[in-house]
Amino acid sequence: MSEILSKGKTSLRWRLGPLWSLVSLLLLVYLVTLANSFMGDSVQVQLQFALVNLIIVVALQMFIGTSGVLSFGHIAFVAVGAWTVGLLTIEPDLKRSLLSDMFPFLFDVQAPWLVAVFIGGIVGGLLALIVSPFLMRLNGLQAGIATFALLGVVTQVLTYWSSIGPRSGQSMVGIPDVLNLQTTMFFALGAIVIAWLFQRTRPARLLRAAREDGIAAAASGINVVSQRIIAFTISGVVAGVAGGLFALTNRVLQASQLGIELTFITLAMLVLGGMLSLSGAVIGALVFSVIDVGLVQLQSGVDIGSLVISIPQGVRPIILGLILVGFLIFRPRGLTGGREIVWPFRSQRTALPGLPPNNE
Amino acid sequence: MNQFIQSLVDAISGGAILGLAALSIGLVFGVIRLANFAQGEIITAAAYTLIFTWQFGWFISIPLSIIVAVALSLLMEFSVFSRMRTATPATLLIASFGLSFLLQRVYELIFSNTVQTAPVGSALAQSIDIGGVRIQMLSVVTIILAGALLYGLTLFLSKSSLGLQLQAAAADFQTARLIGISASRVIGLSFALSGVLAAAVAFVSTVQTGAVGPSFGVPIVILALVGAVIGGIDKLSGALAGGFLVGFATSMLASWLPQDFSNFRDAYVFGLVILVLLFRPSGLLIRGRGVART
Repeated sequence: MSEILSKGKTSLRWRLGPLWSLVSLLLLVYLVTLANSFMGDSVQVQLQFALVNLIIVVALQMFIGTSGVLSFGHIAFVAVGAWTVGLLTIEPDLKRSLLSDMFPFLFDVQAPWLVAVFIGGIVGGLLALIVSPFLMRLNGLQAGIATFALLGVVTQVLTYWSSIGPRSGQSMVGIPDVLNLQTTMFFALGAIVIAWLFQRTRPARLLRAAREDGIAAAASGINVVSQRIIAFTISGVVAGVAGGLFALTNRVLQASQLGIELTFITLAMLVLGGMLSLSGAVIGALVFSVIDVGLVQLQSGVDIGSLVISIPQGVRPIILGLILVGFLIFRPRGLTGGREIVWPFRSQRTALPGLPPNNE
Repeated sequence: MNQFIQSLVDAISGGAILGLAALSIGLVFGVIRLANFAQGEIITAAAYTLIFTWQFGWFISIPLSIIVAVALSLLMEFSVFSRMRTATPATLLIASFGLSFLLQRVYELIFSNTVQTAPVGSALAQSIDIGGVRIQMLSVVTIILAGALLYGLTLFLSKSSLGLQLQAAAADFQTARLIGISASRVIGLSFALSGVLAAAVAFVSTVQTGAVGPSFGVPIVILALVGAVIGGIDKLSGALAGGFLVGFATSMLASWLPQDFSNFRDAYVFGLVILVLLFRPSGLLIRGRGVART
């Protein structure tokens, strides 16, 4: 009898545990945003960028974390999403005068910003879908190089092809100021919910199985490539939406902003938190951003009593780089160790899907 | 016709540089499965050394740049990669990516974001006339230098005991250790040799541009890495040939594509890379799935 009862409890915990992990992440993002809305304007702007980065990291986790395949290419989807939103929201007259080399039909296409962001997501997803048959067969190093090549192609096309944007060396300006911190936060919460729901779908389960043992998964009849295509496309949509939000936050677009550096920063966030869990993606992005905000404050000098502490201009990215490399050396599974947040009032840890064998 | 021969010589020398750079990456990859993105920063360090010490004469400057490159290469191994022996190639790639970013910012802090210039090897900047064909002196020197380095490296790898140990370790690291080859010595050797090759690449590129900035090595290493992977990073010959191919192709595309298209030169090369990886995931020169082994 007691055995049956405890089994019932286990299954309840099984169901509620993951829900708790979702709720706690949403709360965390909400509270961080709330706390920061009392700070100065500059911090608020930084936080809005941090939330956009958080969405990118969530998109990265949906693919890299679930499938175990490295991708340096997600910023390409962010870039096309941003480009789409830029082209759809800049006033037609402004486009005619500033982006005169563009295809004529692009001058008159307009969309409200919210619609534009969703179209940006669709474009990001479409690009992911188109390239995925080429990329999804690859593993490990090859996947890293091929996705990097994708990023290279997209960055170069956006830089030089003046038929779809500014001439090389110039930037897209005139993107309207419509996005506030709160709306960005709702997008971030939405991305977390989508990633959480995705984790519980069949493709995500199959991919996690294949991540842990590719040969066994293939032997069990899992078509790894097609599951990866699904995951890649969905995460491409999320990355495209993040790109649209980036465009509306930054309000100036240049292809060089959406390249290796952003790839580095978002990957560092993912590694910091732990790429195997959604909690890792969210916590990594938040912790990294908080450190970054702190370093920016330090750059301009902080008063502690009679002392003014400040760090030179170039030290901030060095510290961020040290964090990435240090974590890869000393704690490769990140802050969360690949676990999701669990219900804190149980003595026993619940095993959750997505938890790899702990062999470190 | 003359123009074609000129562009051909330039393309061969461009291929030779990237071949050497890809080989320097392949040397390390063969032993510890690390595709070192931060190789570019070793090249940058050697290039800075050349720029700052060229005034003391080449006989001081060039040896110094080799010493700096080898030292930085070994430092990377001891401080970072030696602590990550159990990591997968993908994780190692992320780590070296992070290291590359980190070192670029360090260079920025020390040497500022603006490029540093010096007339390094200006004697090589002239052209020579061979039967009506004007050929860049530097291209000829590059080809000779690459040939000499390859010859020396082949001799070393196939004749000396250390070289044979390195080859054995690259072929099968575990078995090599079982028969008594010292892992740390072989790994150190591969990093040192890769540093020497990086210094050679740095010399040629610095003579070419005469200016060095914090991200000097990045475009070189990206193309070299891509070349090594499509040639087959698991084998030294594969990495070398792949690097050569990418360098040759980029140089040819730059000379023959019309201006409107040559802006997209790298995009074509990258597109080609994705296609090659799709059909030959372990590299053009490798049969079977060489890299799948971890």
